[in-house]
Amino acid sequence: MDWNFLFVNSLNGIIYGSFLALTSLGLSLVFGLGRVVNFAHGVLYALGGYFFIIFLPSLGWSAMLFAPLVVVPLAIAMEWLTIAPIRNRDEIYTLLVTFGLSFMITGAIEYLWGTETTLIKPPVIFQGTVDILGNQFPVYRLFASTLSLLVTGLVFVFIQFTPVGLKIRAITDDNEMAEALGINTRWLLTSIFGGAAGFAAFAGALGAPIFSVEPEMGMGIIIDSFLAVILGGLGHLPGTAVGAFIVALAKSIGGGYIAEWAIAVLFLVVAAIMVLRPKGVFGRGRIA
Amino acid sequence: MAASPDVENRVEDITRVRSREIATRVLLAGFALLILAVPFLGASPFFITLLTEALIFGIWAMSLDLLVGYTGLVSFGHAASFGFATYAAGIFAMNVSADFFLSTMVAILTAAAVAFFTGLVVTRLSGIAFAILTLCICQVLFQISVVWRSFTGGLDGLIGVPLPTLFGREVEPGEEFYLLTAATLIICYLLLRRVVESPFGKTLLAIRANEDRAAAIGIDVRRHKLVILILSWMTGGVAGTLFVFLKAGANPMSLYWIESGNILAITILGGIGTLFGPIIGAIGFIFIRDQVTTMYRAWQFSFGLAFVLAVLFMPSGIAGIAERIWRRLWPARS
Repeated sequence: MDWNFLFVNSLNGIIYGSFLALTSLGLSLVFGLGRVVNFAHGVLYALGGYFFIIFLPSLGWSAMLFAPLVVVPLAIAMEWLTIAPIRNRDEIYTLLVTFGLSFMITGAIEYLWGTETTLIKPPVIFQGTVDILGNQFPVYRLFASTLSLLVTGLVFVFIQFTPVGLKIRAITDDNEMAEALGINTRWLLTSIFGGAAGFAAFAGALGAPIFSVEPEMGMGIIIDSFLAVILGGLGHLPGTAVGAFIVALAKSIGGGYIAEWAIAVLFLVVAAIMVLRPKGVFGRGRIA
Repeated sequence: MAASPDVENRVEDITRVRSREIATRVLLAGFALLILAVPFLGASPFFITLLTEALIFGIWAMSLDLLVGYTGLVSFGHAASFGFATYAAGIFAMNVSADFFLSTMVAILTAAAVAFFTGLVVTRLSGIAFAILTLCICQVLFQISVVWRSFTGGLDGLIGVPLPTLFGREVEPGEEFYLLTAATLIICYLLLRRVVESPFGKTLLAIRANEDRAAAIGIDVRRHKLVILILSWMTGGVAGTLFVFLKAGANPMSLYWIESGNILAITILGGIGTLFGPIIGAIGFIFIRDQVTTMYRAWQFSFGLAFVLAVLFMPSGIAGIAERIWRRLWPARS
């Protein structure tokens, strides 16, 4: 058995997983709070990547922070215009509306910025490679995934240890009771929607030198994020993060040995989990 | 989904309602005749081919309406029924026989078999969970069609599917194939109309309105969902068979989840719960897309926008608006 092959694939899996954790966390958070299935979460990630490469020439690497700052108000406007009006309808409508939105935004990206794939070089200080057990590994990958994990960790700390985080957990647990206790769920949902969009956009910008930027990038990551969220249990954050790594590792390790069959198997596993353990592998999330 | 329009009927005059129903039938029959007459009205070959594709999408959208409109099950993986059938019929036609009836039977039966096994699992769920699970299952089929190269041709798909034969005679592409498609559409519509107006169809509406209550009054919800899922896949299979003969090939992209999203948007824009609306939605989609993509690059944006606006402001779709106008033309209240 080629251990090195396994090692390299695992490492790549962990790197993708650290990005996926950040995007699926937002998806899970928004679902847990408002029962909103945000299909458009992926295109917000794509917008992050695009605004980043647009700002890069003039702003330099601080563009990585400005890109999310542009996406957040966009996402808030989106929530306010399209999701808030249908909150009293069946949850499935949020899925339909956000699906339409993701079509719109992907179309807008292709219209405004073309269909080309852009791969930018990482900043000069991170351009080298580092030797890990005889493999030359780009420094930027390690840096970016560490940063992504750090941000993911900060989100957890925020939710677990701050007063706002407490409110978020209360709403996720029991929406009506939280409202009865005087928590403004409406306002909190809008701001969390914006925040989640910001993190997705940040992931898109941070990943631009690794995964490249193209119009369909959001459509790819949204499906993986859904899988991660279902594995971990909808609305259950630690489970979501673990789910993200399961999906990423399955794709990269499985992909190394059985190519695309790995993805077919992954979808089958997720389908089985939805039916056999509808609350996710940890039994703590909620669905339907 | 949306509230039943039947409620408005309560205070209407029954004889007037009946006369409106007759008028509706005359209108539909006129539409059917028009569709059949298109080749004799001097339409260009290009127009005929485009309309053939539109009608095939119409059959497919109708099959999805059975789930979304009549049972309240939003499937995000309905490309599976269509795409699977393109492969089943295509492989059969290439290797065994290109007889249209035989190929259709093979596609319908295999689609029914897959729907049965899928249904054993997905009928446990509804709402969002149903949507995501159907998406997952469709992606499994998509991946298999890409990976299993020796059987499906991988990303290239099936190439060189022969022309279909009907009663031992080859169906020529163009007008003849169009007439075959149009006739199939009309037959499918009439059959499905009977299904949705039968007691079985009314039971589905009860499930759509409230699954728990339906179960409480003794309806076997899962069994009904399973039957309509199989029926829906079989109808989608008919569309897939026509499509593989139209394109003389199959492509894994017809199994991709974006295609599922397209057909769902077509069905909802056309008007769910009407059977007729999705056909209009499909014709509109195919023709506008064709006219627009070449000169107007913002097509995808506009399509998404139309869909969002439809879901927000007119959940009953084009057919819903048409029906409202129709009711005003034939008022049934004295």
